[in-house]
Amino acid sequence: MIKFYAHKTLQTADGKLPLDVSFSVEKGQFITIYGNSGAGKTTILRILAGLTDTEKSLVEVEGECWNNSEKRFVLPIQKRSVGFVFQDYALFPNLNVRENLAFALQKGNDKNMVNELLELMELQSLQNSKPQYLSGGQKQRVALARAIVRKPKILLLDEPLSALDDEMRFKLQDYILKAHQHYQLTTILVSHHLPEIFKLSDQVILLDKGKIIKEGTPAVVFSEEKISSKFKLTGEIIAIEKSDVIYIVSVLSGANIIKVIATEDEITDLKVGTKVMVASKAFNPMIQKIS
Amino acid sequence: MNILKGNITNIQGSDSLSLVKIAVGSSIFTAIIIDTPTSEVYFKIGNPVNVYFKETEVIISKNEPLNISIQNKILCKIDSIKQGEILSELHLSNREFNMKSIITTNACKTLNLKNGDAVLALIKTNEVSLSPND
Repeated sequence: MIKFYAHKTLQTADGKLPLDVSFSVEKGQFITIYGNSGAGKTTILRILAGLTDTEKSLVEVEGECWNNSEKRFVLPIQKRSVGFVFQDYALFPNLNVRENLAFALQKGNDKNMVNELLELMELQSLQNSKPQYLSGGQKQRVALARAIVRKPKILLLDEPLSALDDEMRFKLQDYILKAHQHYQLTTILVSHHLPEIFKLSDQVILLDKGKIIKEGTPAVVFSEEKISSKFKLTGEIIAIEKSDVIYIVSVLSGANIIKVIATEDEITDLKVGTKVMVASKAFNPMIQKIS
Repeated sequence: MNILKGNITNIQGSDSLSLVKIAVGSSIFTAIIIDTPTSEVYFKIGNPVNVYFKETEVIISKNEPLNISIQNKILCKIDSIKQGEILSELHLSNREFNMKSIITTNACKTLNLKNGDAVLALIKTNEVSLSPND
């Protein structure tokens, strides 16, 4: 269980903004923080990691105090059991994959973890390669493995997949999920990618200008309409074409493009890039076995 | 999307399925949905709901009465027709609400549909979705 409270004045492009956030996370849960740029998402991760100070804070992780501003207590970074993955991979260029993982080990850590993670992340064949010879997706897999090698209590992921193409992103999501479940990590992700959030998260925290405005499962947070339809997808509009008296709207959902008919009135709120829910009744879709 | 506001007047359940009657003005809509009063809190007799169905699922008939399996039969007047090459959008109204239907232009011509015509709008029960209207 993580109990988090922090207050901090952020310097943003629009001036000063108070970040004032309180939430708790059950052990083993996968939480996503979602919100506009400058809402304070990364700051929350940095406070958890001990990389940023606060004006007021009370952070408790599995009964252990990490921050207590009243008692002027801040647990040092190196004593916090966290793994952190950023958008840039931040691997040591002079060390190979195995050495990058081993370097992250601390005294008392289980040395077998390096082998175990090389296997879990399917990195055995790359273990002697230097980072410069790896693809973006491979580097991020190494960064993820390295973040987990100490079996942290919390795994912090700050838009780790946003530099990757969709196909690679999809695969990496599977690795993240596998690691999260295998090591029963408590994971906090910052992401803008709705299909990713739906795939990975148990709970979502919606952050706006330093405040939590909505919390709940992805379906509750992102579905404005609680419609009874059982065939629901979320995605982003990638094209709108006029066809006769109607419009054909193409929506990217995960790796699939689906098409939906819309009327002229409906199109007025929609444009390329709009995030949408597509719903149909469970009675309409046909189901066929594929061989 | 056609969206009408109504109130639940009856729920007939069988396992996970419910056949729901919704009063929209003096018209009664029927919807079949995979929800029960125990699976959804809003889903109770008397509660206000939004009734959704897609324009392309609204069938038009000029004859009445019809001996047909479709449960939702709403008597409407055609206010206007937006005719395209293949599809036509009909704007329909009765005294209490408006809705739209999209049918083929061929069908529109075959039925000789004109502004002011009285028509029956037909919607199958399994094309109607509901959401709480709070």
